[in-house]
Amino acid sequence: MNSSVTVAAAPVASAKPAAPRLPGTFWPRFIVGVVLVLGWEFIVRWLAPPYVAKPSTVLMAIPRVIVDPAFLAATGSTLAAVAEGLAIALVFGTVFGLFLGRSRLFERSVGHYVNGFFAMPMVVVLPLFSLWFGYSPATRIATIIFAAIFSIVMNVADGARSVPREYLEVSRAYRAGKMSVLFGVVLPSSMPYLLAGFRLAAGRALIGAVIAEFFLSIGGLGYYILYNSRSYKHAEAFVGVLLLAAFGVCFELLVFWATKRFMPWYRRER
Amino acid sequence: MLNTTIRRHAPFWLSIAAGIAIWEIAGRSTSQAFMVPFSTTIVQLWELVQSGVFIRQFLDSAELFMTGFVLALAVGMPLGMLLARVRVLRIGVEPYIMILYATPMVALIPFILSMMGFGFAPKVLVVFLFAVFPVIYNTVEGARSIKPELIEVAQSFRSTEWALWRDVMVPYTLPYAMTGVRQAIGRALVGMIAAEFFLSSTGLGQLIMTASQNFDTAGVFASVLVIALIGVALMRAGLAIERHFARWRQ
Repeated sequence: MNSSVTVAAAPVASAKPAAPRLPGTFWPRFIVGVVLVLGWEFIVRWLAPPYVAKPSTVLMAIPRVIVDPAFLAATGSTLAAVAEGLAIALVFGTVFGLFLGRSRLFERSVGHYVNGFFAMPMVVVLPLFSLWFGYSPATRIATIIFAAIFSIVMNVADGARSVPREYLEVSRAYRAGKMSVLFGVVLPSSMPYLLAGFRLAAGRALIGAVIAEFFLSIGGLGYYILYNSRSYKHAEAFVGVLLLAAFGVCFELLVFWATKRFMPWYRRER
Repeated sequence: MLNTTIRRHAPFWLSIAAGIAIWEIAGRSTSQAFMVPFSTTIVQLWELVQSGVFIRQFLDSAELFMTGFVLALAVGMPLGMLLARVRVLRIGVEPYIMILYATPMVALIPFILSMMGFGFAPKVLVVFLFAVFPVIYNTVEGARSIKPELIEVAQSFRSTEWALWRDVMVPYTLPYAMTGVRQAIGRALVGMIAAEFFLSSTGLGQLIMTASQNFDTAGVFASVLVIALIGVALMRAGLAIERHFARWRQ
């Protein structure tokens, strides 16, 4: 009985001082981590051919890989593309989303296109984009933007729709211009939605960059992984996967931190 | 009555018509290698349907999608509830699930390719990996929101663990898990196409790949259009499922 109470009470407890909970969370995590790593190591050793990545070989590969200029160039290229694509998607997606959320006519006429593009698996645009922009980094940027922009648009539009009515009434009472209401009132008030959209978009942008590199065979982290795993250097390739996972987690943490730091009033629904 | 219906739906149909018109004009005014007009796309699509190629590829893709997706549900939901029930396990496993959730799963495709080859199983694995984590994550969240009183009452009536799961855990968690199901549908679709692109080429992915390798722009447009429509239909279905179950949420 006691255990069931603590299960449900856990989220409340975590808000209180963390010190007594530390041993409670550290050991289970540590043990599960050790079990996962050892299990992976031994299963691969017993069952898989020697080239398959296992923790020991990946660990040995890390110092070799992170000083490899090819790896550094690949990482830089992918990261720069993701950053550029995300920045473009963020600016245009936010503006578009604000209009979409505040204008009924715009929403009724364009909304379902946004929904449709959002629902479209982004992989399918690759053959089309490679046709338009060639087998070049431009196609990668286009894929990243396509992957990222619609989740920002949809979230910002959601946020713009749910601006409290009083804010708008007050700004109308002070005869604020349409644009200054949109960017001065609606935008700040939909900030939490924007961040949620950005979090989604960042994950999708990473995926977009990797699949674009797979498809186009242009230099980058995705291609580094593809190339090395094709030449049976799985351990080296897996370092790339670890780095991608680290980026994914970093984005999550960054957005989580930013929400807490800059929007302490905002609580997520769950 | 009729008037209000027209007024409500007119912008939608007008904008669809405008979209098609823009597509048609753009297609006619550029080179056929870059873009084909809507009419050519539809003709091409009709030919694909009539020759039976389309149906065969569609069924191929559907089989892959359903296998991976059902597998993800069958593993993700029980695992999610188990994690919510056993606190130590949840604390231990949660960070790793979060990490895997945030990892771009596409990056694993080259490994899967070189270890498992070109069969059906590696593609199912890709769809499964894309879909399973949202299911686990949302099931855990749902099962954790069970009111402790419900479990306490069940236990004071000396419910067995099995009865507790059957009568409390599963009915309570299911509506929340449906959020994960909706997300998983979208991700499984991406996984399906990615698997068909980068592993052995089959299904709708093959349809696009072949068209693009033959510089058959009309074929590319036709298959992209179909996949976009499938995406929209699946997303609608996911939302409908989620809403249907949401009525049970408390």
